[in-house]
Amino acid sequence: MKIEIADLTFAYDGKKVLKGINLTIKEGEFLGLMGPNGSGKTTLLRCMMNYLRPEHGAILLDAKPIHALKDAEIARLFAVVPQSSPTDFSFTAYEMVMMGRIPHSTNRLSGESRADADAVRSAMRRTNTWSFVNRSFATLSGGERQRVIIARALAQNPKTLLLDEPTVFLDIAGQFEIMDLLRALNEDGLTIVAVLHDLNLAARYCDRIALLHNGRLEAYGTAEEVFNPENIARIYGIEVIVRRDPLTHAVSTIPRISSIVAPMHGTRVHVLCGGATGGPVIKDLLDAGYSPSTGVLNVLDSDFATAQDLHIPIISEIPFAQVSEDAHTQNLKQIEEAEIVIVTDFPIGPGNLKNIEAAEYALEIGKTVIIINPQTIDERDFVVGRAKALLEKLLKSGAKDVKERAALLTLLTERLKK
Amino acid sequence: MPRLRAPDFEDPFLRIKRRRLLTIAGLISFFLLSVFICIFVGTMGPIGPGIPEPISFRMVFDILLGREHLWPEYSEIVSTIIWEIRIPRILLAALVGCGLAVAGTAMQALFRNPMADPFIIGVSSGAAVGAALAGLIGFEAILGITAQPILAFITALVTVFVVYRLGTIRGRIYVETLLLSGVAMAAFLGALVSLMIYFAGQQFHKLIFWLLGSLTLVSWTEVLIMAPAMIGGAFVIFLFSRDLNALLLGEETAHNLGADPERLKKIILYMTALMTALAVAFTGIIGFVGLIIPHIMRLIVGPDHRMLVPAAALGGASFLIWADAISRTIIAPTSLPVGIITALCGGPFFLFLLRQRKLKGEAR
Repeated sequence: MKIEIADLTFAYDGKKVLKGINLTIKEGEFLGLMGPNGSGKTTLLRCMMNYLRPEHGAILLDAKPIHALKDAEIARLFAVVPQSSPTDFSFTAYEMVMMGRIPHSTNRLSGESRADADAVRSAMRRTNTWSFVNRSFATLSGGERQRVIIARALAQNPKTLLLDEPTVFLDIAGQFEIMDLLRALNEDGLTIVAVLHDLNLAARYCDRIALLHNGRLEAYGTAEEVFNPENIARIYGIEVIVRRDPLTHAVSTIPRISSIVAPMHGTRVHVLCGGATGGPVIKDLLDAGYSPSTGVLNVLDSDFATAQDLHIPIISEIPFAQVSEDAHTQNLKQIEEAEIVIVTDFPIGPGNLKNIEAAEYALEIGKTVIIINPQTIDERDFVVGRAKALLEKLLKSGAKDVKERAALLTLLTERLKK
Repeated sequence: MPRLRAPDFEDPFLRIKRRRLLTIAGLISFFLLSVFICIFVGTMGPIGPGIPEPISFRMVFDILLGREHLWPEYSEIVSTIIWEIRIPRILLAALVGCGLAVAGTAMQALFRNPMADPFIIGVSSGAAVGAALAGLIGFEAILGITAQPILAFITALVTVFVVYRLGTIRGRIYVETLLLSGVAMAAFLGALVSLMIYFAGQQFHKLIFWLLGSLTLVSWTEVLIMAPAMIGGAFVIFLFSRDLNALLLGEETAHNLGADPERLKKIILYMTALMTALAVAFTGIIGFVGLIIPHIMRLIVGPDHRMLVPAAALGGASFLIWADAISRTIIAPTSLPVGIITALCGGPFFLFLLRQRKLKGEAR
C-alpha cells in the first residue's frame, strides 16, 4: 500500500499549521517524521488518521482518498501508538490489547471471537508482553505500557504503524527497546511512520527522514542527506557538528551550545593540541570571543575533525606521519600571528614532539604561553622524559600553568582586562 | 489480587468468557430472587408489619398460582394488592433501576468522569420544572393526573436538547462544554423550581415527594410504557460496549481504534436522555442509583463495559427493588420516598466497598 500525501493544507481556526505538504511513503518504509515543536508533525499524523479534515489536499491510499473510508476501515489499515496512554482505570494489559480488535468486530452482539483472542495472543507474544497479560495496565512500567500499546496496534492487524513520539517518556534502555521492536516489525514488512525528536535515534533507525518546519516539508531523504549542519541550523536554530556514530556509522549530531555569550573581540590564540584534548578548549575560546587556530594536527586526529567542524585555521600533517619541517614552519608562522599560545594536555610522542618545541619558540619571541595540566605529563610522555624536561623548562622560562579549562578562561579574561 | 506471572500456555480468553457467564448468571439469579422475595414484602405482609391484618405466605403463593379459591376467607383486595400494586411496582423499580444504572455507566464513560450520573446533562432539573408547572398552572385540571409525567417528560427532553446544542460546535460534541452547560442549566432550572415552590406553598407537598423520587401509585400502564424504552435503551448501549471501552482512552484513541466517537457520543446521549427523562417523568428524581451502581459494579466486575453494562442493568434493577421494598414497609402504613432509601443504603455500602478494595491494594 502506497501512502501519498498530496498538497495537504490544514488550518486550526484560520491559522495554517500544514502548508502544502507533498510526501510519498512507500510500502515497508521506516519513515521518521521530524521537526521542531509546533512544526505540524502531530497534526500531519492526525490528518493521516482522518481525525482532522484538511482544508485542502488529501491523503491517498493507493490513490484512494482516506476521507472516503469509515473509521473502522482506516483502523484496519493504520494503527496509532500515542506518546502515552491514560491509566486512570483498571483495564488489564489483555483488555487493552483486545481493544485493538474493535475495528475487526463484525457482530456487536457476540463480542470477542476466538480469532480476536488469537490475534491478541500473537501480538502480545510478538511484543514480549504475554508474561504480564493479566496485570493491570496502570501498574506496568512506562516501557511495558508502551509495548502493550504497540501490541494493541498490532492486534489491529494494520498495514502501517503511526507513532507519535513513542519513546518520549522512556529511559534510554526503554527507548532502544521500543526502537528495536519497531525495526523488527519493519523487517517483517510493516510500514512505520514515527514522529521522533531525537535526531540520533532517528538516524540510527529510519530509512528516510521528513523534516518539517512551520508546516512545510523542508527536507526529505536519508539521515545523511537531511541531517547536515545547515539544515539543522536553519530548522532548529542550533549549531551542530555532524559525526558518525562509531558503532553503527549512523550520522550523529553533536550540538554546540554556548554557556557564555561574549562579544567577538578576535584576540588570536594558537592551540597546540591533539588526541581530543583540544576540542573543548577551542570551543571555549570561540564562545569567549577569541579567534583560535590550531596545529600541527594529523588528519584523522579527532581534534583535527573538531577544528574543521568549527571552521578555524588548522596546520595539518598527513595521517600517522611525523610533523614535517614544512608543517612545523607553518606552525611557527601561525604562532607569530597569535598573542597567546596554549599547550593542552595531549600525549607527546616522537611524532608530535615538535609541537612542544613550537611552544618554546613562542616563549622566546615573547608570546604568553599557557600550559594545561603539566602535572600529568608522566602519564603522557612517550619520549622517555624528554617531553617532561621540555615542559619544565618552559615553566621555568615563564610559561603559566593551569589545572583545568575553567581556570584557563579566568586567566585569559584577567589578561584581556589588562 | 495475585500478581503471579501467567504461564505461557494460559490464554485468559476462555477464563474471561467463563467468568462473565458465571457473573451474569449470578446477577440474573439474584435479580429473579429479589423480584420473587419482594412480592411478599408489603404493609400487609407476609414480610412486613401486617397492617391492617397479616396475610400468609401460602396465600400469596396460591394467589400467584391462581389458586385463590382454596382460601375461604379470601378477598378480592389481596389479589389486587399482589397483582395490580406489588408486581407492577416491583417491575417498575426494576426498569427504572436498570435504566438509571445503565445511563449512569454510559455517562461516566462519555465524560470520563467518575462524578457523572444520568442527570448531569440537566434531565432531572428540566423534568422538575415540568412537574412543578403541572401543579402550578393547573394543567392537572385539563389532563388529569397524567399532566405531571407528560410535562416533566417534555421539559426534560427540551432541557437535554438545549444542553446538547450548547455542547455542539460545528457538528462536533465537546464533552467538557456539554458537562459545564449541563451543570449551569441544572443550577438555573433548580432556582426556577425553588422559586415556584416558594410561591406555591402548601400544595407542593406532592412535588416535594416527586423530587425525592417515589414509586407509589404505579400501574401496569407505566410498566408497559417504560419496558421497551428501558430495556431497548440498555440493549443499544450494550451493543456499543466495546466502543465505550475505547472512549475511556480519549476520543482520539477511540477514533484511531475505529470506534467513531462522534456517532458514539450521539447514540449515548440520545439513549440516556430517553431513558432518564422517562424514568424521571414517572418516578421523580431517584438519585444515587445512576451514580453509585456503576461504581459498585465496576469494583465487582472490572471496567470492561462488555461486562459492566449488563451488570449495571441487573444490579441497578435489584438494588432499586430492595430499596423500594424497604421504603414501603419501614414506616408502614405510609411509604418513604425511595430516593431517601437509595442514598441512605447505597452510600455507606459503596464507601465500604471502596475502602475494602483500596486496602487490598488494587489499583483503581
